[in-house]
Amino acid sequence: MRLMAVVVKELIQLRRDPRSLVMIAMIPLIVMLLFGVGYGGGMGKISIAVVNLDKGSLSWTVLDSIMKTPSVYVKAYANSIEEGRELVKEGIVSAAVVIPEGFTEELMRGASTQVLVIVDESITTISSTIRNAMLAVTYKFQQELVRSVQGSSVELIYSSVYGPKVTNLEAFTPLVIGIVLQLVPTSLISIAICKEKERGTFEQLIMSPISRFDIIFGKLLAFFIATIADMLITLMVAVWIFDVSMRGPLIDAMVVSTLFLLGSLGLGMLISVLSRNQLQANQAAIFIFIPALLFSGALMPIDMLSPSARILANLTPMYYFVSAFRDIMIKGFGLWQITWQLFALSVYMMLMMVSAPLVLRLRVD
Amino acid sequence: MVLVITRLMEYAIEISGLTKKFGDFVAVDRLDLRVKVGEIFGFLGPNGAGKTTTIRMMCGLMRQTKGTIKIYGYSIPEERSELIKITGYMAQRFSLYEDLSVYENMEFFGKLYGLNGKNLENRIIELLEFLDLKDVKNRLAGRLSGGMKQRLALGVALIHRPKLLVLDEPTAGVDPPIRRAFWEYLRGLNKEGTTILVTTHYMDEAENCDRIGLMNRGRLIAEGTPRELKKMVFGGDIVEIVLQGYVQEGALNETASLKELTYRDGDTVLRLVLKDASKELPALLRRLDDIGLRVLSAEPINVTLEEVFIELVTGRVEKAAV
Repeated sequence: MRLMAVVVKELIQLRRDPRSLVMIAMIPLIVMLLFGVGYGGGMGKISIAVVNLDKGSLSWTVLDSIMKTPSVYVKAYANSIEEGRELVKEGIVSAAVVIPEGFTEELMRGASTQVLVIVDESITTISSTIRNAMLAVTYKFQQELVRSVQGSSVELIYSSVYGPKVTNLEAFTPLVIGIVLQLVPTSLISIAICKEKERGTFEQLIMSPISRFDIIFGKLLAFFIATIADMLITLMVAVWIFDVSMRGPLIDAMVVSTLFLLGSLGLGMLISVLSRNQLQANQAAIFIFIPALLFSGALMPIDMLSPSARILANLTPMYYFVSAFRDIMIKGFGLWQITWQLFALSVYMMLMMVSAPLVLRLRVD
Repeated sequence: MVLVITRLMEYAIEISGLTKKFGDFVAVDRLDLRVKVGEIFGFLGPNGAGKTTTIRMMCGLMRQTKGTIKIYGYSIPEERSELIKITGYMAQRFSLYEDLSVYENMEFFGKLYGLNGKNLENRIIELLEFLDLKDVKNRLAGRLSGGMKQRLALGVALIHRPKLLVLDEPTAGVDPPIRRAFWEYLRGLNKEGTTILVTTHYMDEAENCDRIGLMNRGRLIAEGTPRELKKMVFGGDIVEIVLQGYVQEGALNETASLKELTYRDGDTVLRLVLKDASKELPALLRRLDDIGLRVLSAEPINVTLEEVFIELVTGRVEKAAV
């Protein structure tokens, strides 16, 4: 009853606050459109993985030349052929370049050796770009090589893989949805408590028979009702406007998104309880967003990070969300296949939900 | 048969040894205070005297460093949840939602007190009528005038029919006529049995109180009815007597009770302190007549509490300096 009174009051206030309304409705659209325009039209760079099994120095000359190729960029380093193949299969990269063991040794002996290129053939424009790029790289390498070592040669062999046909836009969709579902709810709710303290309404509020739980969960519920629109907007824009194909069940994607959204709201609420004023709360919400973006795994695969950064990544809820959403969207998984991410997201959500009411004190000192 | 024995509560508020320290700064210093049920008790003192801190501790909004607080027998902060049910509170700052309408504010707080449906609606209408806010019930609280905001805050404090009203500077920054009107509401409520604790730094308002506590630098420096306080400070009632002509101090043998002697338009103005003016004044006039002085007028002077306060505070300062 008291909780519902808080929900109603919060919704009335939200409806009358143009800044919040703009934030709820416009930010998801702006973020989605920016990414849509940025990654939707042109090809952009093609991401590849590198597997270097050679211990010599010549392999680095090849890699260096790959990195200087404008049409591709090295997104991941894998440790074995299987790992490289897996990255291509999952659609994380479009190709994996494998430099075999003893690459330098063989060449120095004047023998010939082979570089394996695992290519995703599902999008022909991409696979042919990679073939061309690799041909150019090896041709240049060979030219320099014959000057010093007679008789040695490098051969390219290809292995075809049929990946999930992931467009660049699709590859970024989970991250974009993650950004919206963290940024908007967290910053929106982060001022919920400290605004009341700043305006003095908190003092009046706690002179009534209201409990900490009424305050926190009343506000959470109201903001959940308001921001659920964000989840729907982002999913709709992705599926209908950007034509991103959702291979797994849409309802499962919504379940994962809802979990993450609730976690973000709880996080914002915790920030609000701990902040002295609205400015501080806003800054904290943005500050927390930066590592979430870095460790999401979408900009840089987690395996590429240093061990300590990998631990941080494993503690970043955004990482689990992006990975869960990607599995549903690209691999077509259902909830029962992503139990680990689901578990991590549930723990995050519960922790956030519980901590704010525990930290809140019904006092003014 | 069940026999229910109820002790009639004599004191609404009983505070003893109340102390609040902020680091080294002592905001409230060993305060003892009792407020009777049914009283209007005025808490007076300049800004920073510790009134708000005391009130916040009384309401459990802030923890005391030391001392005990009992409100209608409930220990604070332990039994704060009981206190809240019987107390209406108005903070120093306007602390209602400016983006909610008058009606929505009252409705929200009413619901928090467990009122709903027809009961809540009737109570709100009743209060809107009592506080003359009916015409602005749909206006956003942020768009109200100062006087209306203050009445709305009172309305919210009253929504659950509290036994005790705690008002922290309810009239700060409001024009005098509106302040007077506000006190009319308070007196009306008090007549119906509501105990009121009100802080103010307007000394003229304090005349409306049954009893007053004067606070300065965290201490309660005096307590009593306005009349008692004046008597205590000046040692009795002050009477102004105008004598015809120019009279020197030496010509009087009333020097003991003489407080001030001035001249106005060629006449002499005496200010005397009498223990009890109604009994002593006739005798005094007779004595003046006996020594041949002509009394033009004689009347008791209404000393303001402001003077009382200044007297008390400067008195303290002097003592402290010695």
